[in-house]
Amino acid sequence: MPALGTASPDALPIEVSVGVPSDSAHFWMALRYQLSFYIRTSRFLGLFGFVGAVVGALALGTVYLGVGGSSAAEVLSSNLAYFTILGVVIGAFMGGDAISMDFGSGTGYYALALPIRRAILLLGRYGAAFLVSMVLIGVFYLVAVSEAVWLHGTGGFPWAAVGISIGLGALFILGVLAVAFCFSSVFRSPAVSMIMTVIVLFFGLGTATGELPKAGIEPWFSVLYGGLAIAAAIPAQGSTLFGPEAAPSLPLGIAIMLGYAVVFLLVSILVYEFREVKG
Amino acid sequence: MSSIEAVGLTKDFGGERPALVDASFSYEGAGAIGYLGPNGAGKTTTLKLLTGFLRPTQGFARINGHDAQRERKAALSDVGAVIESPEPYPSQTVLEAIRMASDFRRGTSQNLSQEIDGLDAKLDLPPLSARTGRLSKGQRQRVVIAGALVGDPKVIILDEPSSGLDPKERILIRNLFKDLQRDHLILMSSHLMQEVAEICGHLIFVNEGRILLRETTENVVGRFRAHVVDVEFDAPVAVDRIRALAPLVKEASSLGNLRFRVTFGGTRLARGQLLRALQECGTVLTFQDSSLALEDAYLTLVRDGPNLGGSVQ
Repeated sequence: MPALGTASPDALPIEVSVGVPSDSAHFWMALRYQLSFYIRTSRFLGLFGFVGAVVGALALGTVYLGVGGSSAAEVLSSNLAYFTILGVVIGAFMGGDAISMDFGSGTGYYALALPIRRAILLLGRYGAAFLVSMVLIGVFYLVAVSEAVWLHGTGGFPWAAVGISIGLGALFILGVLAVAFCFSSVFRSPAVSMIMTVIVLFFGLGTATGELPKAGIEPWFSVLYGGLAIAAAIPAQGSTLFGPEAAPSLPLGIAIMLGYAVVFLLVSILVYEFREVKG
Repeated sequence: MSSIEAVGLTKDFGGERPALVDASFSYEGAGAIGYLGPNGAGKTTTLKLLTGFLRPTQGFARINGHDAQRERKAALSDVGAVIESPEPYPSQTVLEAIRMASDFRRGTSQNLSQEIDGLDAKLDLPPLSARTGRLSKGQRQRVVIAGALVGDPKVIILDEPSSGLDPKERILIRNLFKDLQRDHLILMSSHLMQEVAEICGHLIFVNEGRILLRETTENVVGRFRAHVVDVEFDAPVAVDRIRALAPLVKEASSLGNLRFRVTFGGTRLARGQLLRALQECGTVLTFQDSSLALEDAYLTLVRDGPNLGGSVQ
């Protein structure tokens, strides 16, 4: 190997691994930088507005039109019936461009030239997308709970069930984000990956989840079906949009959502890890 | 010691011809290597293979002894790279973009402000609070270069680093890399021959995916200068008469009524034969090496390949 010259004596020793942060440190860095990216985007404010509009409309319906029933649990259940719609929109917008931005714009040439494993970068971004989504979901729950308490008081309020429902909601968000990340790792265009997430989840799985039970087939493969466990976790009697009877059992709901989160996240990691940055 | 190594690197995108074919080179220590070739020659492909943006169809690349594919994190741990047109997150400020690179590379912001002051002095960075998404192309390029240099990586890989810069900015960049090449290993592709000649002590010429020549800049300039002479007669001579001296004369062009530029075989023997042949065309007043610049060497190599007395390595 031809030597070009000798580095000056004060140059750093070339023990290349020295000083490079660990994967776990890189994870938190990636999460922090992605978080600051998300909360500055107009999309975050837009989604805040969207969530506000949805919960506002639901509150109006409950309070003034009497939709939702006569107990706190029924008010909650009625609101949470719309959770999956909200979750899909939030997940698509938060995860749809998380990876495709690296292939469709120059950010990949900046971030991927740094000594960080792509899988770790992806997981950090996934973590950030999850946290931001949970803030939005938190607003939804906060309004729904406030509404129920305002109408029916705290006596006999199903706090434990709400806690379980929030946990299931978080799981649903993880599953939807994983799907969005998967599309994002496949497509170059952030807009295309967002639209694909919405189309597949809403129109594909949405149709299957709505229609298959009518034919006596349980749509166990649909994350939207799994997400019905979120509303079903609230022990309400009476009418809700989808009806608790159409919901999966709690273990099945958890299994579906967890399965989506794990499988689609693994696929996105594999695609991201091996995908070439061209153009 | 810093090192860059390419062994039989081949990349085939499935087009008419592979983008890169069996490219091999290795350098270690400190210095700058200019990677030259026309558009589509395979320069960026090579740099992307070295930095793990692309996977080779055959062969492998190592940086500081680490495989660029299988050990990407270790390979890039002491590398600052500017490939294509990198962009930090548009919502990031200049400071955040540079800090992110520092964090990922070194995991600490210790001495970062001092380091950024140093980079600012050399690169004339835009205001640190400015959003990178609102910067001009030149400003953004300087921020990206600062991001590649923060943490003082010892291997620097640059793809057309002066692209999009105005003349003042190019001078800044040129001076910066002239300084850095003393204790860093720099591999840079460029179209700007003057920039390469000033910064780089070594050159790699590539065209149509194949490495044509690897040489020191001094040797390349010297060798191509020796292939071309300027001759002056005391009376007008038809250029066709000089061209008729083929195959000894490969090419002749008129620089006026009395002066001609003549390309020949390049050996000392051929040079002597050429002088004698020219003297038969008329009285030769002057006969001297042409001051062919690197640009001519580049154009000649790209046009004729390496068979002008050079050995392909």
